[in-house]
Amino acid sequence: MHRNGIFAGALAVALATAGVAFAQQKDVLSVDLPGQPATLDPHIQWDTDSYHVYRNIFDNLVTRDASGKIVPQVASAWTYRSPTEIEFTIRSDIRFHDGTPLTPEDVVFSVRRITDPAFRSPQLSQFDSIREARVVGPDKVLLVTARPYPVLLAQLVKLSIVPKAHVERVGPEKFNLEPMGSGPYRFASWQRGVRVTLEANDAYWRGKPSIRGVTFQNVADEATRIANLKSGRADVTRAISPDQAQALKSEARLKLLPAATERIGYLFVNAQWGPTADVRVRRAIAHALDRKLIVDALYGGFGTPVDVVLTPANFGYATGIPSYPFDPAKARALIKEAGAEGAEIPFTTSPAYDQRLVQALQQMLQEVGLKVAIRMTDHPTFLKRRQGNPDEAGSISTGLWSCGCQDADGVINPLFRTGSAWAKYSNPRFDALIDAARATIDEKERLAHYADALRILHEDVPGVGMFQYHAIYAARRELQWQPTAGESFHVFDMKWQN
Amino acid sequence: MTRYLLGRAAQSVLAVFGVMAIVFVVMRLSGDPTLLLVPEGATREQVDALRAQLGFDRPIPVQFADYLWTLCRLDLGESVVQRLPVWRIVAERIPYTGWLASTALAISVGIGIPVGVATAVWRGTLVERALMPLVLVGQSMPTFWSGILLIMLFGVGLGWLPTSGADEWRSVVMPAIALGGLSMATFARITRTSVMEELGKDYVRAIRAKGVARPVVVLRHVLRNGAIPIVTIAALEIANLLAGAVIVETVFAWPGMGQLAVQSIQARDFMVVQAIVLLVSIAYVLLNFVADILYGAIDPRIRLRGGPR
Repeated sequence: MHRNGIFAGALAVALATAGVAFAQQKDVLSVDLPGQPATLDPHIQWDTDSYHVYRNIFDNLVTRDASGKIVPQVASAWTYRSPTEIEFTIRSDIRFHDGTPLTPEDVVFSVRRITDPAFRSPQLSQFDSIREARVVGPDKVLLVTARPYPVLLAQLVKLSIVPKAHVERVGPEKFNLEPMGSGPYRFASWQRGVRVTLEANDAYWRGKPSIRGVTFQNVADEATRIANLKSGRADVTRAISPDQAQALKSEARLKLLPAATERIGYLFVNAQWGPTADVRVRRAIAHALDRKLIVDALYGGFGTPVDVVLTPANFGYATGIPSYPFDPAKARALIKEAGAEGAEIPFTTSPAYDQRLVQALQQMLQEVGLKVAIRMTDHPTFLKRRQGNPDEAGSISTGLWSCGCQDADGVINPLFRTGSAWAKYSNPRFDALIDAARATIDEKERLAHYADALRILHEDVPGVGMFQYHAIYAARRELQWQPTAGESFHVFDMKWQN
Repeated sequence: MTRYLLGRAAQSVLAVFGVMAIVFVVMRLSGDPTLLLVPEGATREQVDALRAQLGFDRPIPVQFADYLWTLCRLDLGESVVQRLPVWRIVAERIPYTGWLASTALAISVGIGIPVGVATAVWRGTLVERALMPLVLVGQSMPTFWSGILLIMLFGVGLGWLPTSGADEWRSVVMPAIALGGLSMATFARITRTSVMEELGKDYVRAIRAKGVARPVVVLRHVLRNGAIPIVTIAALEIANLLAGAVIVETVFAWPGMGQLAVQSIQARDFMVVQAIVLLVSIAYVLLNFVADILYGAIDPRIRLRGGPR
């Protein structure tokens, strides 16, 4: 009893005096990330935390503006010579941090480096459509793809340009530890496991960065990240959970920065094994999900309900596709019709997924007459099963899918095309449509194909779209910045409000 | 003595080898890092190609033999996730782990042993009733909770200590208290039991009858005779402090080996996990060995002879 009193007292003191001293405008932006960057060599890792840091050190061939449109960066312009050949015009006024100019040779080197199988880049699968890269003029680079590949530009948003001469001189290990690029911030130091420090590159070709320096701290625990924000030790952090976001709403000195991302929260439904091999059961599942309740109750409104397995932030998203409204009575009727009442539905999952969502879905499906058995394994085992044969994958599982390319090709293609490791579904008409959408660079034609493909997915239900995921950042109120769907963290776009 | 040392060394190598082999196999049973490294949407062929490049397509015994050969060349291999030599990744964390563990040890010994002695000597008095709750708290508060409470109070509320990180001496205070709490309680309990047992023995009464002052009796005679269980526990506790700081390091964003271990397990960064397991098991073996030697120094009746039985 005594001990409880003491702790309650301590807690009260802590809460009452919370967040005393907030420093005024700071030169150095302090960023808390949940993990340390795995590498700073932009051609090796692209996990969110690494990406948050190194995107500030490097320029990319092309980039996306605030609205998500692909716009010039290192390449000032591009034209298709043919459906398999794009010619890029390279800016001549970009300099690396050591003062040497960025040349077309550096662009070609960067492409060749990341596409060299011996380099073992995990990102290879995003770029392996590129057959050839070569310099074709004093400021021109030609990329040749094996087939017409309309998603190439979207993939090139992720291609950082590295300095050829420097990389060759210092070698891969040193370059990873002390990266050098042409971006708005130059690398200063990396106290591994603790923090990465960057400083403003005043010679940056797009202008002097408003924020003079950045430190990225590695703070795994969310409660600690929030304590750091409240105490003024950190200015901005990412990966705030919706629950904590609700609690932070009342903090006068802080603000929430949610962003609708291209991540799609969906339910995979196995069309090739078990009770869900019957399309009526799959449709029943689609009818049984109350998307609005999920978004409101589990995510506090930080999410956008969707009817298809694609977000509005992806190219190819179409409106006007019929949907399955929440209708438990109809779901029960369909299950009865299919003779699947009380059928056992294995729900495979791993700790990487939100277990509250898993349990909510289990409840919703139990209510329409299915018996849902949650099968939890560690994440690599889950991935192995999910990508294994149809009888290993279970009947349903949740996913939060992002291709990092904001294009339907990176979502419904790997998820549902015949022969893909993730697909437990096969429909030649669907395959033909998405193959056709992949084989042309005509945007209108592609949109029409994807709209038709989404209609087929609606009929066959090999997966159910649930919500567009919102990434939540929290920051000091004075920080002016708007995160985007691509979850890029450009400190260059931020500034302090006076 | 030599025979003892040789036997002990052989046993140690065997123990470390066994731990390594188990960790090596168990980790690989649940999948390799390839699937975690590639972007979602990579095709099966692309995944297989990367897996082959990384060498995880080989049978486990081949990989193990390869690893042993790497160790024989006094190397720890390369991290496939961080693309750096493992020795470098691990070596960067050792000073932080040492810093935190030694501070926590100083706190746990510095408070735990005096508390243990005091609660034994002044049994049933106000002293005991005042100090036992401290032991109870240390024993029963989970560190993920006590850590957050400390942060709320001293970091956010009072602003005396940094809420996280490892920048200056003030950074280590809260993690060391959170980490040392449990050890402190263990030291206090063991010391208390041991001292109480000794206090009841005849020799204590005899020395007291000789007119030796009570503090001298306790400090010079009782503590020395009661030291064997304390030394045994100390060896285990030091090893635990070195290896068991996972939660504390996560809560306080402390860049030690525990944090590295968790992150590496999550990323399936096999080589790093193996190196940490290797180091920790060697630390356990060495500390226990040191404890055995110390027994002899503390109690001259104990002689180390022959191999361990």
